[in-house]
Amino acid sequence: MQKLGILVLAVLLVGVLGLASEPGKLIVWCDETRAPALAEAAQKFTAAYGVPVEVQEVPFGDIRGNLAVTAPTGEGPDVIIGPHDWIGELIYNGLLEPLVLPADLLAQFDPASLEAFSWAGELYGLPYATECVALIYNKDLVPEPPATFEELIEIAKVLTDPEKGQYGFLIQQPDPYHTFPLHSAYGGYVFGATPEGTLDPCDIGLDNEGSIKGAMLLDRLVKEGIEFAGADYQTVTGLFNEGLLAMFIGGPWTLPDIQAAGINYGVAKIPPIEGNIPRPFVGVQGFMISAFSENRLLAHMFLKDFLATKEVMLAIYERGQRPPAYLPALAELADNPDIQAFAASAADGIPMPKIPEMGSVWGAWSDALELIVSQKLGPEEAMKNAAEQIRTLLGCK
Amino acid sequence: MALGLLDALGIWTFCSLLLRGEYWMAVGLAVALALINWIYLSKRTYPLKYLFPGLFFLVLFVLYPIGYNIYIAFTNYGTGHILSKEQAIAQIESRLYLPPDAETFDYVVFQEEGGTGFAFLLYPKEGPALFAREGEVVPVAPGVPGFLDQDGDGVVDGAEGYRRLGLPEVVQNLSTLQAMEFPYGEKILRMTSLQEFAAFERRYRYDPEKDVMVDLLSGTGYRPVEGFFTSPEGEALLPGFTIFVGGRNFFALVTNPQISGPFFRVFAWTFAYAFFSVILTFALGLFLAYHLNNPYLRFRKTYRMLLIVPYAIPAFISVLMWRGFFNPEVGVFNQILYSLFGIKIPWLQDPFWAKVALLLNNLWLGFPYMMIISLGALQSIPEELHEAAQIDGASTWQRFWRITFPLLLVSLAPLLIGSFAFNFNNFTNIYLLTEGRPPIPGAQTPAGSTDILISYTYRLAFEGQRGNQYGLASAVSILIFFIIGTISWINFRFTRALEEVSENV
Repeated sequence: MQKLGILVLAVLLVGVLGLASEPGKLIVWCDETRAPALAEAAQKFTAAYGVPVEVQEVPFGDIRGNLAVTAPTGEGPDVIIGPHDWIGELIYNGLLEPLVLPADLLAQFDPASLEAFSWAGELYGLPYATECVALIYNKDLVPEPPATFEELIEIAKVLTDPEKGQYGFLIQQPDPYHTFPLHSAYGGYVFGATPEGTLDPCDIGLDNEGSIKGAMLLDRLVKEGIEFAGADYQTVTGLFNEGLLAMFIGGPWTLPDIQAAGINYGVAKIPPIEGNIPRPFVGVQGFMISAFSENRLLAHMFLKDFLATKEVMLAIYERGQRPPAYLPALAELADNPDIQAFAASAADGIPMPKIPEMGSVWGAWSDALELIVSQKLGPEEAMKNAAEQIRTLLGCK
Repeated sequence: MALGLLDALGIWTFCSLLLRGEYWMAVGLAVALALINWIYLSKRTYPLKYLFPGLFFLVLFVLYPIGYNIYIAFTNYGTGHILSKEQAIAQIESRLYLPPDAETFDYVVFQEEGGTGFAFLLYPKEGPALFAREGEVVPVAPGVPGFLDQDGDGVVDGAEGYRRLGLPEVVQNLSTLQAMEFPYGEKILRMTSLQEFAAFERRYRYDPEKDVMVDLLSGTGYRPVEGFFTSPEGEALLPGFTIFVGGRNFFALVTNPQISGPFFRVFAWTFAYAFFSVILTFALGLFLAYHLNNPYLRFRKTYRMLLIVPYAIPAFISVLMWRGFFNPEVGVFNQILYSLFGIKIPWLQDPFWAKVALLLNNLWLGFPYMMIISLGALQSIPEELHEAAQIDGASTWQRFWRITFPLLLVSLAPLLIGSFAFNFNNFTNIYLLTEGRPPIPGAQTPAGSTDILISYTYRLAFEGQRGNQYGLASAVSILIFFIIGTISWINFRFTRALEEVSENV
């Protein structure tokens, strides 16, 4: 009993000490790819202001769900990172705090990226990177990037030889995100814009003439033997990294593996399709502040005075290889051809729709693409069906 | 000794829970601790000492989640409704807006000497300085007792009993300082940055008696409707909150065409998948076990070791690898088939072949388990029965079917039923290999040809609708529970009949 008593006392003492935590501590959630860059920035913040910043690694797909569950109980983070298309759902759930930034700071960001993080006139995130897909090609097989899409198809047909396991051009399927440039070139869209500047979830453009023409182009790629069923992300990047694929549509996240494989690669804008510019989805990554944070002003300061600087933005770029949204940092990279190509591609792009209804779209659209590629349904029927499914799901009739 | 450690840990957790305001959990923990101490120290509860750990974890990890699941199924918890009503009201009411012509103030922060309270001196563009402390704002001019004008510029810049804080200390205490609000006439003064205070106005006010949220700017009243505060014109205030919706999620299973439409098709495949998985894995496992049991077979131990390998590799990794094998152009299977027969099977693209692929994959993953349990069961059958049957002139096949197999079933039937229930809900395999695809062409909702009930629920609840619908998902999972429970119960009754047969052997 005596031993028990001493043990209890010791534990209580430790407990009391441990519970005396410091006020004013910032918790930042990000995924494992960005955590190292932020950790350096966080150390500098702590050194400058004496406030501890804890960067916690949370898997990217879990950040949104975990925030929804933990924030209302007070256990959540102060700052999270994420793409701009999350803000619709997060605002719907009452989880985000609007940012107030001075005008001269705002002028140093790419206006499209600020637009992406705005909702009903307020800014909800500090952008740090823009990403979109572009054409990545193997310079050993294709010395000059094609100037038009017709040229791309011709080159691909010459280089495709399934017997030898070599392919000319692939778009990973079924993947609406990577296929969207084909639809948008002809005027396809997902949700139409309203006069107020938001998106109308019941104005679905996936079965309009432009989207169908894009689907017909995909169908043509399959019929001419360029695209094959079952070419998913692993297959496409695996083939390219082994030098067996000449061109594919991909984003900056594929570059680290390509560089590690030693491929002589180049990045270019997706060539115009019958004279129309393909407009890929642009995703903007940024920092957001939780509405349940107890350190809102501190978080504001962290974002405004500390993350919005060239050094930190470049450090984040070093890890992620995505074009920075912070213009001074982007200017620093003027001689990096890959970044300039992705940035040029993004300049033509459309921000990914951020209303919560967007989540309902991917399933039906991706099914339509799969049916087209496996040649079970014609392109027109598949896209019309997908649009109808989405209308049913969203209750728009 | 162990009890002492557990008690210490429990008391520490109890204190920290109390400090954080989690009273229910603290009470629950105290009750559990008292119970544990009583069970292990009292002489009358001997059998409970051994039962208790199992019971405890049963309650914690099985019963509590089931109870919580049932609770959620009756609410509309999901995207847009994750806050409680009080939290939503607090958030909406806390929305202060800054009118474009709002008054702003420079400020200085003070802290009580020898105390912890904070105070501010606010400097409006015109008029005397304001001293803000403990929710009160008082104008002070030079000459008011207790306040000093240290640099003689006619403006108060110090207070007796308070010391001015420098920037580092202000930053250290920012979370407390930023939350301090001071009523100022009809407005609220709050910190907007390290340099400024501003006069905010409240946008909304909640009237608890009439249960209405009033927009003070426009005068509109928002009433709670279906988890949102809604105006008469139908405009909803964000965020929404969780409400009880009664059995609506359950009725949706029947009335909502998106859910009930493909239901029977998906249910039929789920049943077929579970049934064939069990039959195929059991057949192969039993076949291998029977031969491994043969004492005349050489290298038995080596075979056993090799055959356990599929069971040892984590399913996640092996399923993803199989997905690569099934790739129609570059996958291993099609390359072998092409070089031998000149054909390429559209494994994951055709509905029929996708189902075959799933069953093959599950066969590979599941037969080691069946082999192990069959080995154990085979060895428990007494040899005399076989010898007696041999003397009576029974052939090998007859011996197997009439003696070995019924006795095996007696001991293995519960495990087979368990395997059926497991495969009925085998979300991981389906999702990793095919994601429920290939899609059914022309379907009304995105249902796949290889979707089982639980993966279809997942798609509906988390990939359809507006975000995540936890309430709907909970309701459908309870329905699945009843389905499996009924099937299992029927099976148990059936195998009890088998047991009676074998007692006469």
